[in-house]
Amino acid sequence: MMIKRWLNQHRYAFVVALRRLRNQPFSSLCNILVISLSLAVPIVVAAVLDTARPVLSQIPVSAEVTLYLESSVPSGAAAKLGAELKERHTEDVESVEVITREQALAQLRSRPAWSDALAVLPDNPLPDAIVVTLRQHPEIAATSTRLSAEWNELDSVDSVQVDSTWVQRLQTLLDFLSVGLGMLALGVAIVVLATVFNTVRLQALNQREEIAIARLVGATESFVRRPFLYLGALTGLLSSALAVVVAWGALQPLNMAIHRLASSYGTELTLRLPDAVSLVLAGVVVAILGSLSARWSVYRNTHF
Amino acid sequence: MIEFQHVFKSYGRGRNILADVNFRIGPGEFVFVSGPSGAGKSTLLKLIGGLEPPSRGATLINGHRSDRMPARARPYLRRAVGVILQDTHLLYDRSAIQNVLLPLAVTGHSPAQSLSRARAAMEKVGLAGKEDLTPVEMSGGEQQRLAIARAIVNRPSILIADEPTANLDEDSARRIMDVFRDFNRVGVTTLIASHDRGLMAEYASRTMRIDGGRFSDTPGV
Repeated sequence: MMIKRWLNQHRYAFVVALRRLRNQPFSSLCNILVISLSLAVPIVVAAVLDTARPVLSQIPVSAEVTLYLESSVPSGAAAKLGAELKERHTEDVESVEVITREQALAQLRSRPAWSDALAVLPDNPLPDAIVVTLRQHPEIAATSTRLSAEWNELDSVDSVQVDSTWVQRLQTLLDFLSVGLGMLALGVAIVVLATVFNTVRLQALNQREEIAIARLVGATESFVRRPFLYLGALTGLLSSALAVVVAWGALQPLNMAIHRLASSYGTELTLRLPDAVSLVLAGVVVAILGSLSARWSVYRNTHF
Repeated sequence: MIEFQHVFKSYGRGRNILADVNFRIGPGEFVFVSGPSGAGKSTLLKLIGGLEPPSRGATLINGHRSDRMPARARPYLRRAVGVILQDTHLLYDRSAIQNVLLPLAVTGHSPAQSLSRARAAMEKVGLAGKEDLTPVEMSGGEQQRLAIARAIVNRPSILIADEPTANLDEDSARRIMDVFRDFNRVGVTTLIASHDRGLMAEYASRTMRIDGGRFSDTPGV
């Protein structure tokens, strides 16, 4: 019997919260829009991170620096220079591989697209090359930049190419975005708290008479506050749902642009919303935040 | 049962609105509280209704010390006391039936049960068929009866009304008093603050008079 009455009170509070949302449609919609637009930004960032991370993990992330030697360098000099580099930069260099011009030519000839072109050349145009793999550490991008500049000054070296630093930089950027996502989530939480607090404050002021009458006929403080808690939770849930729609809408033009870019590299890449469980969880968290903010607001604004 | 023992009431450091008030009202009594404006009638009713605590003294409502009740327990006392204030305190943007449904929502009745009880309460006060009107579409007398319907819908054991017939014509006032008498006849303790001597002569079985915070108690007028 008690539980039935308690459930009836909750049902009443829920209906009252819905009625209050409906009675001020423009104001309610504005609040929901503000929260949903704030929520959509981290959802889009999360979509970018979710899509980029797996792609990035498939790319070899070891920073490789390739030194192309002058064509005038005698054979055997590459192996000697490779050994010297490894010895001189033990802390930074993981391994050194020497690819002679003959090995490079053989590799190229094994590819059908190149074999015909190479057949018409009078001699081997390729230089000896040294592929230096650097040790993994957080400052690998800076190290590869410093070493490549240093090695470029060597007499026997024609040019230096840093092969995978961009991957490291992209990884760093994604790490930065991850931290940014946390900050964004915090910002959104503050937006939710502030918006719901203010909404409930105005609602409580508008409902002064109803609250006073409810107290007159025996309403407990829980009864008075409950519709506001539902109002906060509903605002959070509706905003979350709208935010997913907004984020999905925002991903469509982004995906068209990414699709064109990825196609030019002969690959497929599509930004997708985070999985349903994460989105539902985020919606619940926002609803709880809305409810907590409403509780705080109604506690402060119904003491009359 | 209502019992006051050496009750004082003042606001801040002001004079005593009620000073050393002592009385006992048994179950099912019909009592008028009279006195000039500002004498403390409304304050007395607010103390009985648990709307305000006394400054000193003991107030017992249905055997419970309401003066010692923690704030969170007072709403449950208010459910046992139907209160009709001078200003009817109706929700003017809701229909009549929605006004009467509010106390039932507070006590957690199901929608079907609430609707049935609210309709019965409106019928008892002569407002059957006016469920969908808003209070602004009703006369002053009808608004008073609507406030009574809201006060009795939770079947309180005590009914208190502050000047319920003020500003009403004689016929409307009499209809309101008939409604109170009907509830009193089924055992509801009824207290009415009024200075209408004619109504007191016709309806009262006991009259308590307050003047300048002092209290006197007489059977009849």
